[in-house]
Amino acid sequence: MSLRRWSVTLLAALVALVTIAPLIWMVSVSFMARGEAAQFPPPLWPASPTLENYHLLFGTFGVGHFLFNSILVSTLATGLALLFTIPAGYAFAKLRFKGRDAIFRMLVAALVVPGQIGMLPLFLELKAMGLVNSYAGALVPWLAGIFGIFLVRQYCLSIPDEMLEAARIDGASEGQILRCIVLPILTPIIVTLALYVFLSSWNDFMWPLIVLADQGLYTLPVALAASSRQNVQDYEIMMAGAVVTTLPVLILFLALQRYYLDGLLAGSVKG
Amino acid sequence: MAGLSIENARKSFGATEVLKGVSIDIADGEFTVIVGPSGCGKSTLLRAVAGLEELTSGRVVIGGRDVTDLAPSERGIAMVFQSYALYPHLTVYENMAFGLKIAKADKAAVDEAVRRAATTLSIETLLDRKPGALSGGQRQRVAIGRAIVRQPQIFLFDEPLSNLDADLRVRMRYEFAELHRKLGTTTLYVTHDQVEAMTLADRIVVLRDGRIEQVGTPRELYERPANIFVAQFLGTPRMNIAAATADGAGKAILPDGRNIVLPALTVPLADGTPLSIGIRPEDIAIGDAAVDLPFTIRFIERLGGLATLHLDGGNGDDLVTCQLRDDGSFDEGDAVAASFPANRLHLFDADGQALGKARE
Repeated sequence: MSLRRWSVTLLAALVALVTIAPLIWMVSVSFMARGEAAQFPPPLWPASPTLENYHLLFGTFGVGHFLFNSILVSTLATGLALLFTIPAGYAFAKLRFKGRDAIFRMLVAALVVPGQIGMLPLFLELKAMGLVNSYAGALVPWLAGIFGIFLVRQYCLSIPDEMLEAARIDGASEGQILRCIVLPILTPIIVTLALYVFLSSWNDFMWPLIVLADQGLYTLPVALAASSRQNVQDYEIMMAGAVVTTLPVLILFLALQRYYLDGLLAGSVKG
Repeated sequence: MAGLSIENARKSFGATEVLKGVSIDIADGEFTVIVGPSGCGKSTLLRAVAGLEELTSGRVVIGGRDVTDLAPSERGIAMVFQSYALYPHLTVYENMAFGLKIAKADKAAVDEAVRRAATTLSIETLLDRKPGALSGGQRQRVAIGRAIVRQPQIFLFDEPLSNLDADLRVRMRYEFAELHRKLGTTTLYVTHDQVEAMTLADRIVVLRDGRIEQVGTPRELYERPANIFVAQFLGTPRMNIAAATADGAGKAILPDGRNIVLPALTVPLADGTPLSIGIRPEDIAIGDAAVDLPFTIRFIERLGGLATLHLDGGNGDDLVTCQLRDDGSFDEGDAVAASFPANRLHLFDADGQALGKARE
């Protein structure tokens, strides 16, 4: 039994190592002198660690500006997504209105359509509305994600009707019930959803690339991709850029992972 | 405080009619229990009074005011749910204060109301805790506290003891009775448990299939059930019922030919009239008089002080249940003679409706 347990631990550690090794090497290379990573075989650690790549990144390439753009777009995307998704998910779960289930079924059916298919029509629509090459255009796809509505709805289903009825008898309006009773109970799923939207919009490359033409509006992934075409040989700068892109969301995830796991487990444990 | 009238309440869900014209008048300060089997419509009726379900037709009048179209919060009611329905993220204090805070009541008044209710229910020490840290009984008290704080005209209870274990149920039953004595608020209480109904109610309403079967005090319903359903629904073990035929001379002939002396009726039964005879298990006497009927004890349930005997008449009929003090003198397989005192018999016509007994 003990041997079995050890072998499971060993296997888990091995898988973890394989997963994290590229990340560690990414950080390691970002501190190497220029050209050091291109040697063969590539070194694991920098011979003499340097911040030169980061100086170049933030100085010459102005990554600080793109970092700010990314934070702005992802924060707005997250805020707007929560603003629309939570009430929608709650309404689909708990309010009685005509056509509720039919509309929800249609939404769920739309989940199977890949996002890329909608990109061209969405682009044309936004163009007609004059929103191309603006952050408003970049934010539109995040306004109300079907997956988010589905997630909130499923979690809301586990809230007993009697609790909402008790609040109604206590004189709370539907808005007050949502704000004072439902939102606090939804905290784990809200954190999960916020993290999901933030990560997705932070990492999103395709849509900002399509909709944002002006270089000054570029988000980090788009800006890095654009500069990689010029610096394709500079592994060290590229890795420093990757660190700048990954680190904020990694920290965010680690800080909120307790809620995140709560939220993901919610459906199965709470029933 | 105020009285409550439900007038010809009807409620349908799609094609299914759940309430089929229910009318009840509850006097100011009265404790009324609605009892009935699952699916009889009792919870729907309570929810209609609360305003959580809209009636298809009919009226709800509280304190002389028609509240049928008012929102739940405007009806002057407070409700305690089976699942307690406490707000899990709020402390006991915040749970109890929630309604008053929503109504923007003065902070000092809220505090006073919450603390007074907490004292009444002996939960002063729990005010800072969250519902998750409370036992079932404590949660139930908090739910009642939340109702008291609102100082409603009517208390509505929806099977409030169903989630508690047997011991706690008995204690809370007592506490409900005490609380009602103390506050004197008009109360409508729904349960499927006839013991709760019998012990708590000033008046019981027996509901079946969306219709009222009988309304009366617990004693009236137990002593003079209006029909076989009520007779068998109240009382544990349930009333024995046997089919028989009247002989026109004050006796009933059982299918196996044995006969039983009947009580005097307001309208005597003609010879050959089919009827059902009922007798409560505790009214059957075991003795050896000449008129007693012979039985064999098929099975004994010993409850400590009392024993329930299941008697077999040897004619293939249902077993007759008899309850008496257990003095250890009976064993399974024993032959005994049982008597059915005429004044303890309940008679029902072919439709199951009670036949009026002449005054003794």
